[in-house]
Amino acid sequence: MKLTVIPERCSGCRLCELACSIKKFGVVNPKKAGVHVMVVYPAPVIRMPIFCHQCKDPKCAENCPVDAIACEDGVVKINEKECIGCEQCIISCPFGSIFTHEDMEAPFKCDLCGGEPECAKVCPTKALIYVPKHLLGQAHRMENVLKYAHMKQVEYFEKGEKKIIHYTETEKKDNNSRKE
Amino acid sequence: MNKIGGYFGKILAVDLTSGQAKPVEFEPGFALQYIGGRGFGAKLLFDQLKKHDFQIDPLSPENVLTISPGPLAGTYMPASGKTSFVSLSPATGIYGDSSMGGSFGVELRQAGYDALALYGKAAELSYLWIDNDKVRIVPAPELKGKTVLETEGMLRQKTQDQGLKIITIGPAGENQVVFACITGDWGRNAGRCGIGAVMGSKNLKAIAVRGTRDLPVADLPRLVKASNEGFALLAQHPMFEFWQNQGLMSVIDYINNVGVMPSYNFKDAYFDRAEKINGYTMEDHYKIGNTACFACPMCCGNICLVKQGEYSGTVVEGPEYETACIFGSNLGVDNFAFILKANQLCDELGIDTISTGNLIGAVIEGYQEGILDLDDTDGEVLGWGDEKAIISLMEKISKKQGLGEILAGGSKKLIAEFPKLSNLISQVKGLEQSAYDGRVAMTMALSYATSDIGAHHTRAWPIAFELEAGKNWTMEKKVDLVVYHQTIRPLFDMLGVCRLAWIELGFPEQFYETAYQAVTGVNYSLKDLLERSHRVYDLTRLIISRRGIGRKDDYPPERCFIQPVLSGPHAGKKLDRAAYEQMLDLYYQKRGWTQDGMVSAEREKEFLSEPGII
Repeated sequence: MKLTVIPERCSGCRLCELACSIKKFGVVNPKKAGVHVMVVYPAPVIRMPIFCHQCKDPKCAENCPVDAIACEDGVVKINEKECIGCEQCIISCPFGSIFTHEDMEAPFKCDLCGGEPECAKVCPTKALIYVPKHLLGQAHRMENVLKYAHMKQVEYFEKGEKKIIHYTETEKKDNNSRKE
Repeated sequence: MNKIGGYFGKILAVDLTSGQAKPVEFEPGFALQYIGGRGFGAKLLFDQLKKHDFQIDPLSPENVLTISPGPLAGTYMPASGKTSFVSLSPATGIYGDSSMGGSFGVELRQAGYDALALYGKAAELSYLWIDNDKVRIVPAPELKGKTVLETEGMLRQKTQDQGLKIITIGPAGENQVVFACITGDWGRNAGRCGIGAVMGSKNLKAIAVRGTRDLPVADLPRLVKASNEGFALLAQHPMFEFWQNQGLMSVIDYINNVGVMPSYNFKDAYFDRAEKINGYTMEDHYKIGNTACFACPMCCGNICLVKQGEYSGTVVEGPEYETACIFGSNLGVDNFAFILKANQLCDELGIDTISTGNLIGAVIEGYQEGILDLDDTDGEVLGWGDEKAIISLMEKISKKQGLGEILAGGSKKLIAEFPKLSNLISQVKGLEQSAYDGRVAMTMALSYATSDIGAHHTRAWPIAFELEAGKNWTMEKKVDLVVYHQTIRPLFDMLGVCRLAWIELGFPEQFYETAYQAVTGVNYSLKDLLERSHRVYDLTRLIISRRGIGRKDDYPPERCFIQPVLSGPHAGKKLDRAAYEQMLDLYYQKRGWTQDGMVSAEREKEFLSEPGII
């Protein structure tokens, strides 16, 4: 399973941050969360939650001088006891998805809530989703297919309601080529 | 103070004159009585007025501007991102408030303050920078004349912190246009009552906050359980998805179909081209994204982009219903792209869309009726739907040039300059009317007339209830509904939550009792909370009556009595003056006020004898 985001859906409500802080730290504090929503406005308009992608080859672990970061069962974890607080991991992460807070001894990050990520559960626009890995990229594949097929449409009425059906035609050979 | 949950027990009091900022601790009794948000603001304003014998010029350093989120703001509950801005309004000269969504208030709370109170006036244009305990007033002459977006961008660059939560005023606020607003998160506005002009009068261009503290919650498991149920309830609502898609724009069709959508400067209550400016037009051609206030699943904010034509490239967070109607049907405009442009311009200049559209509507009608001539309009011909003239007027307002200088003084100044416009400008107590007709439903007329800030719908919005079910209601039932709305809706502003979950998606009232109890650990029932809201209404009434308001000012715009609706389902309807007088009598009686609209002598004494907070 993979936690992933469809940024176009994100409204920037930050419920993911809140839910994470409650689940992970037992407090109401969006600043203590393994997810952080970034907002850019107005050019371009984008809101996007940043969180750990649980890399197979984690740069944070690679750059940890005391080997306090390791991957266990597909989840990258920081061992707080080993951590010396140098915060190298924070700047090593290519996504910026390790965070720090003055109340905390060690940096913190997403641990997928043991397989049931709270953020994805609470996300009201389904921007954050937790899906089987083989489905990753499916939406783009589908979009690509639909774009490729030069869609035509037919309007029709069903029980008085106007509906549209899209279709694509198979290639027609013109008369000349048929002769050949 | 740490006896009750939900509060840090501190108000950050900033004296811009001396440059001193100090956290003032308050007693639990204050929080128990005034809850927060608008309640805190009203009490702090009252204290300040009392010190000055109720004689304060709204744009003088003596005025106080309070910003208070409320105990539920930022907690894990649906739509808890609201912050109240309270001050003496330069538009009306009386109590004024406006609320803002977004996340500024939550950040302020995370910095450890339940409210921010701004006194005095900075020597030069400055911004206030709050970083938890560290509070600085930073001179920033370079921000002069900058638009809202420019200011936010410059502050982020200057502080090198992309995550700062910033509120700012535009050029109009600096120039003290009496309906200037304060903008946060690039497009969330505390729009009404000229709160932005008060900030401008204090030489304060912006406030930037970073807060990192845990929000105090007494019983977190109880809050989480209730909120999760709440989230599920909202998501199951049949209108939830539609609401996410269109937000407040969804009401255009409804309001027009029931015949209360203002058009042509409130002359009519129906617009024959509404489909050109409705939510579907927005969705199909302009909307590029959703945006939400803090912790809100409803994400009613629309982000729109004009992709082609004259206004191509216009990006705006909006519009919502009021703006689309006031700049659309109310000015005879059916071009949605123009509405977006006007909205963006208002946001950038920092002026309230409702007041701006009202005032422009009044001068267009005035010109059309021959009350104004070319000398009055700087040589500009003003016609319905004239987009260029409207944009030119907006710019002139923000710079206070020509006719814009008069308009920048709001309805009061407009009427003083052109007394003949007094029946054309829809206003109560000097505040221009929201986009719901006042002639069709008596309850709505009474709501506008008795709202403590003027003709705004935030205090009560009973219009849909009366139109749907109130045909045979007794007058008493109507008055009761108005009073109830004026009690529960301000309660949301005291708690720091948005009313839309309740009014639009039927969120149960009882939930707010549970959430309040879970957050504070105080076992107040909904009834107890409503009583406190009711009492704050008495307080604001006392403030406004001390500022000269009485029964004479509790009437809907004059047009409601003299000119019938022209078209639509309610064509021919106007308000009956005698019936209205009767209703007002009953309203005062229900509120326990005198027939002159004054609070009782006991209540007055009670408020006057209460000690001040700061």
